[in-house]
Amino acid sequence: MNVNLHPKEGILFSAYLLFFVIHGVQTGVGIVGLPRIVFLEAKHDAWISVLVAGVLTSIVLWFIITMLKQYDSADLYGIHVDVFGKWVGNSLSIIYMLYMVGSFFIIFMNYIEIVQVWIFPNLATWQLALVLIFLTVYAVFGGIRIIVGVAFLSVVGTMWILVVAFVPLRYADFSHLFPIMNIGFGELLKGAKSTTLSMMGFELIMFVYPYVREKKKSMKYVQIANMYTTFLSAFVTLISIVFFAGDSLKATIWPVLSMFKIVRLPNLERFEFIAVSFWMLIILPNMCLYLWAASKGFSRVLKRKQKTGVWVFAILAFGATFFIQARYQMNMVTDLVAKSGFYAVICYPVFLSIIVLVKKWWTKRRNSHAKAS
Amino acid sequence: MQRRHKWKLIMVNIACVLTLCSCVETKQLEKLGLITAQGYDLEKENEIKGTVVVHKFDPLAENLTKVITVKSHTSKALRQEQNLEIDQKLVTGQLRCVIYSKELAKRGLSQLVDALNRDPTIGNMVYLTVADDDALSIVNIDQSKLKVNLGTYLYNLIKQNVESEQLTSPTLHEFNHNLQDHGKDPVLPILKLKGEGVTISGIALFKGDRIVGELPSNKLFYAKVLYDKYKSGTHELGFNRSHFKQIIKNQGRENKEVYDRLFISIDNIRSHAKIKLIDKEKLLFRVEVTLDSRLLEATEPLDLTSTKNIKFIEKKINKEMESQIKQLLEFFKKKQVDPIGIGNEYMANSREKPLSKKEWRELYKDAKFEVRVDNTIVKTGVID
Repeated sequence: MNVNLHPKEGILFSAYLLFFVIHGVQTGVGIVGLPRIVFLEAKHDAWISVLVAGVLTSIVLWFIITMLKQYDSADLYGIHVDVFGKWVGNSLSIIYMLYMVGSFFIIFMNYIEIVQVWIFPNLATWQLALVLIFLTVYAVFGGIRIIVGVAFLSVVGTMWILVVAFVPLRYADFSHLFPIMNIGFGELLKGAKSTTLSMMGFELIMFVYPYVREKKKSMKYVQIANMYTTFLSAFVTLISIVFFAGDSLKATIWPVLSMFKIVRLPNLERFEFIAVSFWMLIILPNMCLYLWAASKGFSRVLKRKQKTGVWVFAILAFGATFFIQARYQMNMVTDLVAKSGFYAVICYPVFLSIIVLVKKWWTKRRNSHAKAS
Repeated sequence: MQRRHKWKLIMVNIACVLTLCSCVETKQLEKLGLITAQGYDLEKENEIKGTVVVHKFDPLAENLTKVITVKSHTSKALRQEQNLEIDQKLVTGQLRCVIYSKELAKRGLSQLVDALNRDPTIGNMVYLTVADDDALSIVNIDQSKLKVNLGTYLYNLIKQNVESEQLTSPTLHEFNHNLQDHGKDPVLPILKLKGEGVTISGIALFKGDRIVGELPSNKLFYAKVLYDKYKSGTHELGFNRSHFKQIIKNQGRENKEVYDRLFISIDNIRSHAKIKLIDKEKLLFRVEVTLDSRLLEATEPLDLTSTKNIKFIEKKINKEMESQIKQLLEFFKKKQVDPIGIGNEYMANSREKPLSKKEWRELYKDAKFEVRVDNTIVKTGVID
């Protein structure tokens, strides 16, 4: 297998679109429940925790991009083979593919759960899953440029929701925020760790990278995207802290949607219905990119057609929906993916890039030694 | 080939959307009974009596509202029982107002309010109220005289008073927030039957989820000054007439001397209340209230031409307000309720572990207050 991937010139996309791709794939179902999850760990300083998490992810991103820059135009599958050799490298790739399918699965499952709780209690899971999976498959068949387009539309089309988030400030009690930084550093970091589910997604840069036209600029746009996501998450968390009493925030499963309950438009009593429907647009790029990146492994690792991979993973995910019946099972799976996500997204890329950097340094030194002698 | 494949997928997608659309529950307006108000009474131990006002959209029906009363143990079981008595499906999406009887509120509302929270179809802006005696009698008032259905009527009654700054907003969200906050307690308006209508007779003070006291409507102004930080409506202040002798215009109406009280009505345009913890050890709080107000009415012709006189009135008003606010704070302390959020202020200023509600109540007993009011009369109307 080639380490570097050289797609045709025509399907490359501009580097600035990386902003939409990375931000689009980071914000998804995670952010709806984020304030509560962080609050459980970091209490009223949760918003600081989110900022800390943002800084950490930004460091991880720096590692990832620096690693990718060592190669001409490689993706994670190629790097695996280059670093670990054919067998170990490909096995690691397959594990990473499974993790991505898992993410794909929990994204739409969590969304369906929200729809079932908020709008249609009698809706069967498989019905909405079928529609969502078909939609994703359709987009993935369009190729990477279509997926980038979906990400762009999703980010631009849902930006206005941010404005609505100001409405709950009418009921804010800012005394909840004080005293600032009253929580231990350990709790702060624990809170930062719990943001994984809503921060993850940026790891997909390792798969999209070969398709970026101006690769030198990718660092800038990826970092901007991550900053924006961090800002957004911290803002939402901050509003939740001042809007809810501590104990009720602990008990609210989707604080962001619960906050939207107080928004009222003149001819629409319940804004959260619109918010829940629009959330489908927010999660769509997540689903597309995860499915695309996972199925890409079929052509790169297993030497099959990518289309086969798309169908295999789609059917696998659809079949798995029938095994999840209750909320506690869903929680278990989500926790599992979030936990493995922490290792797959934060720890592993840093580890890998250190290996790559050491390896590059080593070969360079050996080469120069060879020349010198 | 590629193209045909794509078309196939599009067709499958469209087919899915079309066929699956009918799978979700449909709700036709004509087949629904919209609950606009709910009342809960304590029937006996472990049993509650629920009453709902249902608004129908049947074009043929004459009586568009219907009141159903049943008894059960939980509020959702009540709904089932109520559903047995009506030809349309009961839904709660348009619920506007929930009334709890005082008897029930004395024993705790958290279970019933929790049922409202758990249900995603119920909005967060539903008003919660307490009935002075029982909720049933309020729900059962003669509705033929009302132009709108009872739920909307009660909703407008409260909303109008909230908007004209007479009442603190009693939405479900605020009740929850204050109930769960460790340093704050909720308040709800009390509804009372008056003739053929309903009136707001005051606010109920909650300690946790139980009612422990009441604040009559004439004291609401001060509570509002402390509670809401923006505006607090109109208020009438009574003074000893003899104190104002120097600025009362003598218009030869000596007979007025018989009244020994002078009343001044002011309208509050802006207010800002700040609670500050000055001494943590002694638990001394300073409450600073800054108000801008208009003089609306005085029972005696006052000479308002000179600045000195206005300053004099301001000073008098400040003093009166200070003593009233202090009384109110002491009253809250005696009742062990904290609707203003003094506890939150305390916790925001202490870098120790956050207090639990119980710990705060222990501390609250020893709290001391220092009140400062700075009232500015900015306008005196169109005449001097």
